[in-house]
Amino acid sequence: MTVSALFQSLLAGMLFICAGVVLNTSSRRWMIGLLALQYVGVFGLVGVSWPLEIAVVKLVAGWMAAAVLFLTYQNVPAIEDRQRLATGSAGNLFIGFAALLIGLVMYSLIPEALRWFLGATPQQVLGGLWLLGLGLLQLSFTREDIRIVVGLLTVIAGFEILYATLEASVLMTGLLAILNIGLAFLGAYLQLASHLEERL
Amino acid sequence: MSTPIFWILLPLLVAGSGLLLLRYRWLLKWGGSALSLVLALNAAFLPINESFRFLFWDLQISDELLVFGRRFILSESDRPIVIILFALHFFWLLIYNPKDVPSHFVPISLAGIVLILTAYAVDPIFYGALFFAFLALINIVLLSPPGSEPSPGVMRMLIYQILGMLFILFAAWLASWIEYNRGDQLMLSRSLLILALGFSFLLSIFPFFSWIPMVGEKNHPFLTGYLFNSYFLGVFLFGSRFIIEGGWLTSGMNLQTPLQLAGVLMLGLGGLLAVFSTHLGRFTSALVITGIGRSLLAFSLFAAGFPIYFGMVIVQAVALGVWSLALSGLQSGLPDFELESAAGAARQHPIISSGLLIGYFTLAGLPLLAGFPVYMALGTGLQDYFSWINTGLVLGSLGLVVGGIRIFRTMLQDPVNNQALTIGDRFDRGLIIALNILLALLGFLPQLLFRVTRAITDLMIGL
Repeated sequence: MTVSALFQSLLAGMLFICAGVVLNTSSRRWMIGLLALQYVGVFGLVGVSWPLEIAVVKLVAGWMAAAVLFLTYQNVPAIEDRQRLATGSAGNLFIGFAALLIGLVMYSLIPEALRWFLGATPQQVLGGLWLLGLGLLQLSFTREDIRIVVGLLTVIAGFEILYATLEASVLMTGLLAILNIGLAFLGAYLQLASHLEERL
Repeated sequence: MSTPIFWILLPLLVAGSGLLLLRYRWLLKWGGSALSLVLALNAAFLPINESFRFLFWDLQISDELLVFGRRFILSESDRPIVIILFALHFFWLLIYNPKDVPSHFVPISLAGIVLILTAYAVDPIFYGALFFAFLALINIVLLSPPGSEPSPGVMRMLIYQILGMLFILFAAWLASWIEYNRGDQLMLSRSLLILALGFSFLLSIFPFFSWIPMVGEKNHPFLTGYLFNSYFLGVFLFGSRFIIEGGWLTSGMNLQTPLQLAGVLMLGLGGLLAVFSTHLGRFTSALVITGIGRSLLAFSLFAAGFPIYFGMVIVQAVALGVWSLALSGLQSGLPDFELESAAGAARQHPIISSGLLIGYFTLAGLPLLAGFPVYMALGTGLQDYFSWINTGLVLGSLGLVVGGIRIFRTMLQDPVNNQALTIGDRFDRGLIIALNILLALLGFLPQLLFRVTRAITDLMIGL
């Protein structure tokens, strides 16, 4: 295994751990912090296919999104995590087990996926699929708006890794970056909307 | 100077500035209406790619704008689409009552129309999926005004729109693959499957339609009506361009049967929802779901279905507009939108209730109202195909009629609360009467409607 392949494997592993913990943690501070860390992995894996100066857009946009969510979290009165499907140790165990299963299923899909993404390395495909799967799992386990936004950001991040192996368009990169930041602003707005004064 | 600057950038700037004027509700209403009207008229008469004299200047407006190597094109053949979108916005702003509806409706709805137009104008067309994701973001803000919690239906809508975008982007890349590997049937069928999944998310085709009743039940009736009307029109316009420009029609796959199958399925679901609903907001959803089904059937006829589709767009806008306006007005006279709460509404608030009933029955396809001749034309167009398609069309409409009779019967019952209460502005009541008359007139004179829709189709396909 070359150094590059080892580095990519570490990044893919980090993505799985980050997305898995984001799924399981009840602390919003940890959730947003790990989301920011996740974008380092996305940047690393996208950088395999793209020049670093373009790949860094993913990192900047992701960190901006995480910063927006973090600042909102700090300024909104505490909200209980009541809308989550499962809480407590049994719930966490269940979610962790589901994440593990998703991880295994995605791992088993690599040979098939590599036939679709011809220019991709196995680590890129694995990282992308893991984020897609765990993001979808996040979306299916919660009705809480901030978690839905984080789930969507995770799904889009997974897609971005895979799509980077297919197309490198400046406009597409810019639009996806705007979408990431827009989603974060939406998450911030939804957190604040119920505390704002109605203008009717 | 180019048409995308006129019809995309300029309105987008105005929409952004409008957010600073939320306190001035009437200014927003009339200013927004005037702008939309001017843009619609401008779209009708502005010479494109031709020199003309304006006051002291010689001008030439080109039809494309280049951004980072990608083109945004609004050419002569796109005029009808621009006119329809801005006219639709003008209509909804005209009937919008600033006292009943949050003021952020005006700038956000304008931005929404502009995003639909951008998605339609971008070349290559698959970039449009991203603009629909942006549209989803601002639609969430539209449906969650300050002071209210976002409803679960709204969040589900966001999830589906984003997933739809991802599938469409991926399918578009696969389409370019097919260009280089003609004859690879396995790849073609896979990419078509992914594309179908993407559009199923965007068009809320079964089983991804669950957010429609959820939003209809929990969100503001006027905002919901507008969102359903403009959003689905946008997706259908984008979808038609995507299929034509992406070369999917020439790929040798049969698109007609899946479109018809999905259409009949949506008609059946909408009809069933209307038969069993006990909430007025859910009746809006039933109307919208059957509308999606009928639109899919019209699109399955390709060029022959375009005049019918545009006829449905016009009728749906007016009927859904009067229904939403009436429902929004009724809000102040009812404790909630449960069907039984509307008992006696027709006796207490006859004009508002008439708007509700005529809007509903028009979309149900009751004879002598504007919807009937259009749906009749659709049924006639479908007569050469399998009989189950027309059976589905009739059964879906029948379900809506049964639902309408339930609403009518409830509204004619003795009122729960006998207290006389005048609700709605005089202007609103006048509008409801005018729109009722318009719907009846279009039912009697369908040739007027079809003349317009044929002209639109001819312009679009360059006849």
